[in-house]
Amino acid sequence: MATIIACYKWVLDEQDIKINPGSLDLDTSRAKSKISDYDRNAIEEAVLQEEKTGAEVASLTFGNSKAKQSLKDALSRGPAKAYWVNDELADKADALVTANVLAAALKKIGQYDVILCGEGASDTYAQQVGPRIATLLGIPAITFVSEMKIESDKVIATRKIGDCTEEVSVSFPVVVTLLPEINKPRIPSLKQVLGAAKKPTTEWSIADLGLTTEEVTAKNKVKSIKGFVMSRKNVIYKEGTPTDKVASLVASLTKEGVL
Amino acid sequence: MNFELTEEQALLQAAVRDFTKSEVEPLAEKLDRDGLFPHDTMKKLAELDLTGIPYPAAYGGAGADYMSYAIVVEELAKSCASTAVVLAVHTLAGAPIYQFGTPDQKDKFLPMLTKYQVLGGFALTEPGAGTDAGALTTTATLDGDHYVINGTKTFITNGDKAGLMIVMARTGGEGTKGISAFIVEKAVSPFEVGKHEDKMGVRGSHTTELIFKNCRVPKENLLGKVGDGFKIAMATLDGGRVGISAQALGLAEACLEESVRYSKERVQFGKPIATKQAIQWMIADMAKDVAAAKHLVYNAASLKDQQKPFSMEAAIAKLFASETAMHHAVKAVQIQGGYGYIKGSKVERIFRDAKITEIYEGTSEVQRMVISGIALR
Repeated sequence: MATIIACYKWVLDEQDIKINPGSLDLDTSRAKSKISDYDRNAIEEAVLQEEKTGAEVASLTFGNSKAKQSLKDALSRGPAKAYWVNDELADKADALVTANVLAAALKKIGQYDVILCGEGASDTYAQQVGPRIATLLGIPAITFVSEMKIESDKVIATRKIGDCTEEVSVSFPVVVTLLPEINKPRIPSLKQVLGAAKKPTTEWSIADLGLTTEEVTAKNKVKSIKGFVMSRKNVIYKEGTPTDKVASLVASLTKEGVL
Repeated sequence: MNFELTEEQALLQAAVRDFTKSEVEPLAEKLDRDGLFPHDTMKKLAELDLTGIPYPAAYGGAGADYMSYAIVVEELAKSCASTAVVLAVHTLAGAPIYQFGTPDQKDKFLPMLTKYQVLGGFALTEPGAGTDAGALTTTATLDGDHYVINGTKTFITNGDKAGLMIVMARTGGEGTKGISAFIVEKAVSPFEVGKHEDKMGVRGSHTTELIFKNCRVPKENLLGKVGDGFKIAMATLDGGRVGISAQALGLAEACLEESVRYSKERVQFGKPIATKQAIQWMIADMAKDVAAAKHLVYNAASLKDQQKPFSMEAAIAKLFASETAMHHAVKAVQIQGGYGYIKGSKVERIFRDAKITEIYEGTSEVQRMVISGIALR
């Protein structure tokens, strides 16, 4: 029976983030958090595989103290237990730091056959954590997966690359990063929500994993985060016949090098 | 008082928001336009354990609190007031069984409701007995092992679809003491569905007349004792008012959300209308009243959960939330102007849906009677 670990990131809900129209600064003061959308696919896929094969499923996250509230959220979606590496530096972690921490946590868990990640996080979408975990653990990674099944000690996956697909078969243990089209995460039932509190959770500090503060401090520094606003020229061609207007538009586009 | 949601309540709220976004909001306009009953949505709500929220797991319920129930009704109503009231009345039908039923009645009937094997309903109102519910004339006469019910009920929510109806009928003399309550299982004790009402709003919930002609109900389906019916009905309506106040709260919140969205998008005189003080003040008043209504609704639910007296608080919550919904539905249409007056606009639907919250589960005037009656004791 396979052991599946579904990794997830506790991110700010982008719907709650407001952009200050003047400075373009982000106002996150009233933003709630959620499990990253793509990681919901990872948890759902783990649970689907559990239903098909009887695999054991656990969730794993690296987050600050606020991520504690993610544990019941994750557990209400089906995993039997949850692991949480708690450190305030998670807020500033980049993909390398996150992968280091998750790989160390996976080593401490010891038993893993399939590690599922979303293709990217819904805030940064760096698409690096999954492959980096695989590298750190010295195991294969299958990326861009749109379909997967577990047979015996193998994952058979369909990768969607550009305009073609590739089917691969990889023996355990393996990291699999999933495209959102792989499934539709189900909405937890009320009994699942209430039952989440009864499931076991494990909290580790980075010291418990044998990591130092330096190892979980990102080397890059974020100087600013700004909202993106499409600037428009607000040119309207009002004069002349429709033919004249089209000619003026084409002339402008040509002048700007668009055509 | 602190109404910070528990982790479980917050998760439930998020789950129901996901559900309404994908399953309820897309259907709401069609249900309203065509008067379609949300049967598939109810089945999906049952799969999410939401058709018996406040009843123990032993009876197939979710074993959650009334606050959770209020949150679910509120969230549904933000998208579709019809679906919200169908669920609210279905849940309400279980309340008198849970509160006043015998162990056998609970074992037999509650799981039917909580698992949505049947839809529930509550039949009190009659053509001549609305606000004056104690004047009802439907009779129930004991005949051997059965009560025989005769009479007509009117304005019954879920009337045509319900398989289990709580029916109030007169077993004794005049007045409230002569009324008893019965669990009427349609498959065992058939009754007729009369006129379907063509309503102004909540058109996805079906409201019908029910006609009882020698409807034979096993005598073990009497709820409580003979003559307890009015007391049972009033206790049920206290809880029901929390549900309808939550529905009204959801409608008021939808007014606020729609008004904020529209006023930021709608440009007049070269700027979004949200920059105009006239609009800002309407939105400020909406936000203020929504916040107050939310506290009143959650307060009533919380008192019920704590098993403290809550009749007055439920009436206050229902009165304030429903008048808030109606008042701000008018403003929400005003903000959207001509676009808000057109069929298919969400605020046009809310405008019609909100009105009923001032009428059913006790009119605003009845709420004021209840409140003043307790205040003047």
